[in-house]
Amino acid sequence: MTLYTHILTQILISVVSVAGVFVLTGMTGMFSLGQAAFMAIGAYTSGILVTKLSAPIYLAWPAGVVLAVAVGFIVGLPTVRLRRDYISLVTLGFGEAITALLNRTTALTGGASGLTGIPKVTTLWSALVSAVLVITLISLFKNSKYGRQCIAVRSDELAAKSMGINVPKVKMIAFLISVAVTAYGGCLYAFYTAYVDPSLFGWKKSAEWVIMVFFGGVNSLTGSVLSTFVLSGLPEVLRFLQNYRAIIYAVLVLLIINFKPAGLLGEWELTPRNLRRIIARGRRVQQPKGVN
Amino acid sequence: MALLKVEHIYKSFGGVKAIQDFSIEANRGEIHGIIGPNGAGKTTIFNVISGIYPADEGKVLLDGKDITRMEQHLISREGMGRTFQNIRLFKGLSVLDNTMCAFDPRSRYGVPGSLLPLPKRYAEEKRGREICMGYLKMVGLESYAQEKPENMSYGYRRRLEIARALTCEPKVLLLDEPAAGLNPVEVGELTELILRLSRELGFAILLIEHRLELVMNISQIIHVQNFGKTIASGTPGQVRSDPGVIEAYLGKEEC
Amino acid sequence: MQILQYVINGIALGSVYALISTGFSLIFNVLKFSNFSHGALMTFSAFTGYFVAAANGWGLVPTILAAAATGSLVALAGEFVAFRRILIRNTSPIYFFVSSITLGTLFEGIVVLQVGANFYNYPRFFGKPLKLAGLVISQSDIIIFCISAFVLVVLALVIQKTRLGRALRSVSFDRDTASLMGIDVTRSIQFAFIISGALAGLAGVFLGINYTLYPTLGSLVVKGFIASVIGGLGSLPGAVIGAMLLGIVETTLISTIGSGYAPVFTFLIMLVFLLVRPRGIAGSNIQEKA
Repeated sequence: MTLYTHILTQILISVVSVAGVFVLTGMTGMFSLGQAAFMAIGAYTSGILVTKLSAPIYLAWPAGVVLAVAVGFIVGLPTVRLRRDYISLVTLGFGEAITALLNRTTALTGGASGLTGIPKVTTLWSALVSAVLVITLISLFKNSKYGRQCIAVRSDELAAKSMGINVPKVKMIAFLISVAVTAYGGCLYAFYTAYVDPSLFGWKKSAEWVIMVFFGGVNSLTGSVLSTFVLSGLPEVLRFLQNYRAIIYAVLVLLIINFKPAGLLGEWELTPRNLRRIIARGRRVQQPKGVN
Repeated sequence: MALLKVEHIYKSFGGVKAIQDFSIEANRGEIHGIIGPNGAGKTTIFNVISGIYPADEGKVLLDGKDITRMEQHLISREGMGRTFQNIRLFKGLSVLDNTMCAFDPRSRYGVPGSLLPLPKRYAEEKRGREICMGYLKMVGLESYAQEKPENMSYGYRRRLEIARALTCEPKVLLLDEPAAGLNPVEVGELTELILRLSRELGFAILLIEHRLELVMNISQIIHVQNFGKTIASGTPGQVRSDPGVIEAYLGKEEC
Repeated sequence: MQILQYVINGIALGSVYALISTGFSLIFNVLKFSNFSHGALMTFSAFTGYFVAAANGWGLVPTILAAAATGSLVALAGEFVAFRRILIRNTSPIYFFVSSITLGTLFEGIVVLQVGANFYNYPRFFGKPLKLAGLVISQSDIIIFCISAFVLVVLALVIQKTRLGRALRSVSFDRDTASLMGIDVTRSIQFAFIISGALAGLAGVFLGINYTLYPTLGSLVVKGFIASVIGGLGSLPGAVIGAMLLGIVETTLISTIGSGYAPVFTFLIMLVFLLVRPRGIAGSNIQEKA
């Protein structure tokens, strides 16, 4: 496998997770700083089921997602009724707790030295299919009734309630969808690298995803996907930047927040209609006026 | 039976008595004006009726049903629509989608339908769009359906808020200073709109307004609030000649 | 006797948590958002304290002063770079979250760049633990507790009694009205960041003394967050009480079930607490304005 397939596969796996974060952070305006811990639940559950119990993958992966969603429900339950700060604070605590748990349960998870021997199943193609599938599902969601309600909740919770929107329910749905997608990303990841350890799923990972969503545009799935490619691709291609990765991200986002708060693409989405518009504009530019 | 019956509600914040013993009874087709100087507790009355704050005491009945302790979104679904003094539209959604949000709680598809291209979803979306376009047409915004509300004039945004409230299919409509920030022409159009809605849709309207001429012209009954208390209520004619009201608005006459 | 030992150790630990949670709550009160850069700021200041003072053989007090001063300055700079424009433009408060998360990764990124993944140790500032009627009390615990308590009392006095403190409280209560009353809102916010940064520096040094200095030391900020949630988000006395309780519960848990599982249980306790009493001990009621 060439270096570029490797990088591309990793980026596509990131796209899956970032798309999940987009539902929560971009659309609903909630911040989970323990999102990577849900990725860990997906990765470890599926990994353990396959390596220790030799469960088939088509059972192990869904099990990882379902467990993550169940845990997400418990974590979300006390927080969705409260102001948004709570979900960030609680998920941050949750992330720390999961890391501690993974480090501690050595017999099951391999502890700090990690879980090894996971079969390498994910390929560039399965990662690509997964990313396309997830993006499709989420863009369908964005244009659905719950998608609209998520955006309404992000914009103004009080007005949303006054319009009959069940705000805690909408927040919970957004949270669980993002948890499910992130956990699925965890399965993809574990079965690609064949190895996971607790240090991969700290709060900085979650913060990185939030940054990618904002860099691309608060309300644009296209933007989130694009910025995942740019932000996670850049340091891979330009190796000497690797150490500066966190700092470059941070500076870029601070610039964006100060000077272009809507993000790179703002609310623009790559829809067939917008695509036609671009092409039409392109043609107009290409054809010199004298031709007609 | 009265569509909206508010019985002796009280609300205080710390030591501030924002509402003291407010009652109202509004029937189908009626427009009630609530007037009073700043800080008289008018918006607090709306916030208590629509469930943002719980009342300390008293009862609110909507079409005979006790909604005093109900959750805000359920009150809305029982048939309470409202607008806000400082326009609160949803940023990031088009004009049509702003109204669709008020239809969505009634839309008959769930989470699976939101993630997958199921036929039920498209049928319901179509039904919702038709209903919403109907209300947008009613307020004269049908040709702006795809616009962003941020790009529209103040007057249009006020109308969009009304259309969104109408999409809740309210039995009672609460309008909080709908004419604030509008120019005289727009105020005229708004007056006509409110009268037409009241005639065609037959709900009860409660209207908070600073512009006395607007309230006096269209309300059947006017309630005058001052420092949380109702100092007068009655027809525009009665209220206009009430000495307490004149005092509250103009101060005591010296000569 | 065993219980008394837990309580004593717990209060010592809790006093450090109290520094974190008050520093966090201060910003929360003024700007109504959770400052996630607080943890990384602790790391940053603690390391600066190490390199500027402790590594040169200076004592505890210069180290603390260096760390606190760094915390204040960096927090002030952070306010200017990451929060000022959001405030002026009055854009959605979700940008505060992003800004603070970004600032956090920036601070931590700089630390990692400078020190790598290495661990550092503060020199031993303290002598042998004291034994007193069957109780073992380390000198560092006593001194950390005394300094923390002193700082918190001074802070309480400043907030209650001085002009700056009054301005800060009124800005926390209602920024717009405070501004109409002629209070310099920007200066009050800067003041809050200066204090919060100093508290972060102090807490960072104490955490470094209790454990070691490492680049992700700041993730211990989560203890301060949990303490604030238990105490009641936005309440300063609540933050202190929550921190003390958390300290006692945690030392008890560590001695009974071990340090590995302790974070899991403290998290579960917070979750249950939120379900039962979401307003926290102090019963603060932070609501979005209607």
